[in-house]
Amino acid sequence: MRIYRWLLCLSPHSLRRDYGAAMEEMFARRMTEAKQSGFTRQAYVCTREMMGLVALAMSEQFGAAARMRQRRQRSLSGPKAGMMDVTVQEFRHAARRLVRTPLFTATAALTLALAIGANASLFTVVHRVVRNPLPYPESSRLIALDYGFPSRNIPSGITSMAWQLYFQLLDQARTLEGVAVYNSSPMTLTGRGEPQQILVTHATPSLASVLRVSPALGRWFTESEGVTGAASVAVLSHGLWMRQFGGDRSVVGRSITLDGEPTEVVGVMPATFNFPDARSEVWTAAQSTRATASFLFNLFGVARLREGATVETARTEITALIHDLSRRVPNQSGMASSAVPLQESIVGRIASTLWILLASAGLVLLVACANVANLFLVRSETRQREVAVRRALGAGGRSIARYLFSESVLLAAVGGALGVALAWGGVQLLIDFGPATLPRLNEVRIDGVVLAFSFALSLISAAAFGLIPLMRLAPVATTLQEHGRGQTATRGSHRARQLLMGAQVALALILLIASGLMVRSFQKLRAIDPGFDSSSTLTFAIVLPQVQYPSRQMATDAHLRILDRLSAIPGVTGASTSSCLPLTGFCYGNGLIVEGELFDPKRARPFVAFRAVAGGYTDVIRTPLLRGRSLTRADVDRRELNVVVNKAIADGYFPGQDPIGRRIRSSVPPNSNLPTPPWWTIVGVVANTPTMALAEPTPVGLMFLPMSIAGGPDVPREALLGPDVIGMAYVVRSTVPASSLVGAVRRAVDEVDPNLAIAQVRMLQDIVDRASDQTSFTMILLAIAAAVALLLGAIGIYGVISYIVAQRTGEIGVRLAMGAEPRSVARMILRQGGLVTLLGIVAGLIAALAGSQMIRSLLYGVSPRDPVIFSLTTLLLLAIALLACWLPARRAARLSPLQALRTE
Amino acid sequence: MKDDAPSQALPDLVFHVLLALGHGPTHGYAIGKDVEEQSDGRLDPTTGALYQVLRRLTDEGLVAPVSGPDDVDPRRKYFALTRAGRRAAAQEAERLAALVRAARQRKLYPQRA
Repeated sequence: MRIYRWLLCLSPHSLRRDYGAAMEEMFARRMTEAKQSGFTRQAYVCTREMMGLVALAMSEQFGAAARMRQRRQRSLSGPKAGMMDVTVQEFRHAARRLVRTPLFTATAALTLALAIGANASLFTVVHRVVRNPLPYPESSRLIALDYGFPSRNIPSGITSMAWQLYFQLLDQARTLEGVAVYNSSPMTLTGRGEPQQILVTHATPSLASVLRVSPALGRWFTESEGVTGAASVAVLSHGLWMRQFGGDRSVVGRSITLDGEPTEVVGVMPATFNFPDARSEVWTAAQSTRATASFLFNLFGVARLREGATVETARTEITALIHDLSRRVPNQSGMASSAVPLQESIVGRIASTLWILLASAGLVLLVACANVANLFLVRSETRQREVAVRRALGAGGRSIARYLFSESVLLAAVGGALGVALAWGGVQLLIDFGPATLPRLNEVRIDGVVLAFSFALSLISAAAFGLIPLMRLAPVATTLQEHGRGQTATRGSHRARQLLMGAQVALALILLIASGLMVRSFQKLRAIDPGFDSSSTLTFAIVLPQVQYPSRQMATDAHLRILDRLSAIPGVTGASTSSCLPLTGFCYGNGLIVEGELFDPKRARPFVAFRAVAGGYTDVIRTPLLRGRSLTRADVDRRELNVVVNKAIADGYFPGQDPIGRRIRSSVPPNSNLPTPPWWTIVGVVANTPTMALAEPTPVGLMFLPMSIAGGPDVPREALLGPDVIGMAYVVRSTVPASSLVGAVRRAVDEVDPNLAIAQVRMLQDIVDRASDQTSFTMILLAIAAAVALLLGAIGIYGVISYIVAQRTGEIGVRLAMGAEPRSVARMILRQGGLVTLLGIVAGLIAALAGSQMIRSLLYGVSPRDPVIFSLTTLLLLAIALLACWLPARRAARLSPLQALRTE
Repeated sequence: MKDDAPSQALPDLVFHVLLALGHGPTHGYAIGKDVEEQSDGRLDPTTGALYQVLRRLTDEGLVAPVSGPDDVDPRRKYFALTRAGRRAAAQEAERLAALVRAARQRKLYPQRA
């Protein structure tokens, strides 16, 4: 509304006085009406109305004079031309003028196109990923279930759910309309070509009703299929259906083999359905009953709020329900709900990054506009004299304004159109090279809103750089006087120019500082010692089908047989396996109980992560051994109850003591039907390795135990008292290149079981790289923005100073003729440019300091006001700015007085 | 005005605005809606374009601002056709009718049932 009122000011005064209020009222009504048909319609109507105003302003302002002329010409030229025709004519003339100066036009249009393209592509991502609601009906009522232990200083982030809690919420939560729990695991799909590993999401049948989705083909699960013992059924993703079944509609009712088990396909989801994310390709019904529900937090939860309920009321109620449960199961006391809107849980982390990147693209656009405005200033000035003569002869100021403004509108339109084309490519680049953590990428595309945004941007930039020369229309008399001498441009024009130059310096400095801070964060992040050596190590995952390998012993044997063959490959210096690799997640975790120590709920320690490993795992990934010994093949073979812990456990559980020889065990809720796990003896301590992110605020406790005893040798694997060993991640360190190793690995696995799929083949280094993905992505984009701003800024400074030198050539000639030192002439020019640069730097530093909090969340190990970065970037900018000033200054100093005076 | 009026076709939007006011005095928003409906969505003037036309018509004396009912938003402006406006609309309608007649004679338009 404010923008509308502002744009209204462009139209003639009389119109505004008579109808301004009425127009505002009508605009408001139209917007209200459009709001009901959705955001896209609203954006469309809004843009259209704004454009209508600009068209009105242009045709009224410029058309008045034209109408007079037209009226005079009417008798000669036949029917009178409409207002629109006048505008069209004006643009035709402007286009002709622009074509006549191709260099100017190309420079200005390309500069704008780059800036608009960058903005449009980032806006596309922000709009589709962050702003656009999730593709579920009334998605604002969906929440992701999340918990924290406020008493243990963990406010949130425990995203898991247990079956017990699910049934509790299902039966008792009044704020929730529906609850669903799910978890995903890789499974092997066989029977159709090569065995392949796909991600399967096991979800309660309630998932479809909570999200309010339905399959494109067939049906979703029925409630009875979610009860333990029911036949297993599956729903396919659109992608898998197309890829594996060629989109055959008769797939419903057929059977697929998942982990060796026949599973009936009952439906196919639409292509737009990606829950929990786009990697999931099959959904199966998760099965449980109230009687057998476990209290292990190995599920995720999503819920739909009842009409009228808020996230806060739901949190309060869920916390109370957990409290209620913990009276029966004391281990969970102190747990509180920290549920968040589903959208926030999906895009929350990346949103601030994207907004900051969009803001930096906005700064680049400002620099670009300043540059184009400068070009326009020069252009209008060269015509100033001609224009002044015209005005002296009676041409209205408006006709001249129209003459200049139509050029900027045309340029902006061309720049905007090119920009949208660039954005199309830019979006593809962002998708291809964006961090793997960027969610909802499949939803990213250029749509009407993005087009409207680019259109509005072009319009705003046209106004920005088109109006500056307009404001500079000097009174006729002074212009004629000054140009009569033909020497110096008006004082005011210098001021405008220097203001633009200073602004460019300031904006470029802000971007330079931001990218400098990101580079430093990235360096710090990469300098972290991850506690393992990621070089020349191949990793891959093998998930054994449960049906063929029902017991832990059988699974362990198979893995060990594979390891034996892998070790025999020439060039392999070490091979081992773990239930979970560093930086790939917390994976399985539980509380620990130390022998001889009473359980004290007030001194509850965070969960530790369990890793079931084969012999020599920590040796293969080269995690430094701090005390004792590492686990060996003998520990695995003999099912020794020996474990190795990392430094975080040693420090947290045994402060100031020697943990070697001490005994610990997994905690189980008392009164539960689970068997009591055995005591494990600590035989070694290794360095910390990160679990989820390179920079973890506090190191996570890790415990390595022989895969043959994971959870206790006699505990059934369904009890989930330790990490499951059915799916293991392999590490193979070798002296031969990975490319030649993969084939040998495949053959080695085939020798054990040709039906096994090898998945997630990558180097250990790739996992480390991926962990700093988001930082490097932000860093690269900010660096590009800063480089472009710096380049444009340098060109701007160079242009301004060159122009000043050209204007003052005569004066310089006089000075030199009077005996001035060439060096002092250069110094004079330099001083002029330097002063403006310094002012720009001061403004930029103030802005950067003021905005430093914005970027804090993206940084690691560096203060957002890091003095080193601030001074280095300032010096760099100063050097480049002075260089840009010095080149024209040198030219001035080298002028021969004769030559200089002749230019007059 | 008078002498060249018969040969002068009114711009599309202008005629539609005059038509919209044929029902009696009304305000900008309603005119916009009526124009859109009468033209089957072919014409959908923006607020700016509409008021530009209304102003021109007011300047030329075809339309005059009138006071609206008391119970509506005071910002809302009401417009009514003047006698000249009525005449201009009638002339345009006649011109169009003449064209339709000519088209009929040349079998370019379905005959009346």
